[in-house]
Amino acid sequence: MGESKAQRHPVHYVEIDEELCNGCVLCMKACPMKAIRVKGGVARIVGVCIDCMECARVCPNGAVRGVSSADRGLEDRSRCAVCPSTVLYSQFGEDYLPNDILLGLSRMGFSYVHDQSYTAEMYEFALELYIREKRQTANPPFPLISPVCPAVVQIVAYRFPSLLTHIPPLATPREIVNREAKRRLVAKRQCAEDEVGVLHIVPCPAIMIREDDPRSRDRAVGIGTIYDELSKAVQEANEDEVLHYSGGIGLGWGISGGEIAGLNAKCIAVSGVHDTIRYLEKVEMGLLDHIEFLECRICTEGCVGGPFAVADRYQTKQLVQKYTRMFGTERRIKEKYIKKLYYEGWFESAREILPIARETPAPTVAERIEQQRKAEEILKKLGGKHCGMCGSPDCRTFAEDVAAGKASAENCAYLKGRIDKGGDWC
Amino acid sequence: MLERQFHVKANDFVKAGEASIEVQGLLKKIGFDPGLIRRVSICAYEAEMNVVMHGGDGEMTLSLDADRIVLECRDSGQGIEDIGLALKPGYSTAKPEHQEMGFGAGMGLPNIEKNADSLEVKSEKGKGTHLFMIFNAGGESG
Repeated sequence: MGESKAQRHPVHYVEIDEELCNGCVLCMKACPMKAIRVKGGVARIVGVCIDCMECARVCPNGAVRGVSSADRGLEDRSRCAVCPSTVLYSQFGEDYLPNDILLGLSRMGFSYVHDQSYTAEMYEFALELYIREKRQTANPPFPLISPVCPAVVQIVAYRFPSLLTHIPPLATPREIVNREAKRRLVAKRQCAEDEVGVLHIVPCPAIMIREDDPRSRDRAVGIGTIYDELSKAVQEANEDEVLHYSGGIGLGWGISGGEIAGLNAKCIAVSGVHDTIRYLEKVEMGLLDHIEFLECRICTEGCVGGPFAVADRYQTKQLVQKYTRMFGTERRIKEKYIKKLYYEGWFESAREILPIARETPAPTVAERIEQQRKAEEILKKLGGKHCGMCGSPDCRTFAEDVAAGKASAENCAYLKGRIDKGGDWC
Repeated sequence: MLERQFHVKANDFVKAGEASIEVQGLLKKIGFDPGLIRRVSICAYEAEMNVVMHGGDGEMTLSLDADRIVLECRDSGQGIEDIGLALKPGYSTAKPEHQEMGFGAGMGLPNIEKNADSLEVKSEKGKGTHLFMIFNAGGESG
């Protein structure tokens, strides 16, 4: 594999509190990336973590949490533009409309409030133009894979690098609002760009990957972090200002199928980490070549199921669908203008998605084959109970860990019993 | 030489494709070229689906070294009456219910022939089929 240009140590935003962790194996078993091992009585993230938070969802001790940069992001609101995920609009029940939520944020003292649902409609139209363009080419990389969910992008970069060419090089709504909100705030305050920052209010830690860059003033906080204060501000807000501009398509962005709802193309929407991986496997095997666009969201039901969301995902989904009916399924954007921006390169993403280098315990293919052969031999001797007591998530992974010299065969309770009785493990 | 065997069960459409996904996963862990992995995975999937639809139970065996990958698929099913015809794109003997599920477009064996570097088909009516696929890996891995 070409490893000359690859990410080596992707940052992740999941932490395991060693004080609270009792070394049970639930998070390790839930991790779809097999990135967790239990060592010295506590769970540790040792492999590539994509911030899907499956570990946090199953932890009975509350030891796993997503990191949110709360206080740093909120320190000087007068120099801060705030860009909430559209999921925020559905967190306060039926009594408040999206505009009420945006007014609440304005009341909290942020200098500028940017509606992401409108940008989502712009992005969706740009995506449609991109698909139309690709249809005209000889071998289009169909299905295109949505660049929106950062955890999905990380999975592709790590487990399916051959599919990176399927990700359109378009800026996501989040990337666009980050750029545009900053530009408008700079114009409003007549100051330099590095004097202002953007605060994203997000439903999951995976989004931190791109927005919580320590070098910039841009920050991301979880919905849960800001919820209490915003709740009060929303109730008190009584201004007449209009801050929400989109139709129902942009508002539906937070649920699975929201990105493709208004797209004129052959599309499928998939949600949940396991189904996402299953579908990416199908794409890699060429089984979905007849589909033009694949929307994948790592959280079941989409971003409304994000770990930082406060309201129940199914009730939220119902409310989002109500908004979509209420605001209509027509895009409220000026298509002619968006088309002009598209052809001027306005929607091009500034980021380059690189493959994430696999750990290479052995340098050559021949050596890696030998290591797998050894693992096969070890596996035959294991109990096959997948108990996790050894500290690896299942017997095959344990056998591979032993073959790679990362674990000792004696960690297996079943094997140790045999060794203790005088038998040889190998 | 590394060898792994996968059992494929007839008419089990729920588990169908799992052996191919395991094959794909193993080749990725070893780090073969993505294009080569895709070709082997497509052949594994087509061969697996043939067993599920027509073959009775079967075994898929993957054996490999750094230079070549060999995929063998043996089943004890109905066999192929005319191999030449089965290799023709679009020729299908799939049952209507399988076609309703989106399978049986008559592209299985032609797809394998297209993606494998070498394909040998042996079959006896009523006794089963044996596919022998070879992929050259030398120079394609890193």
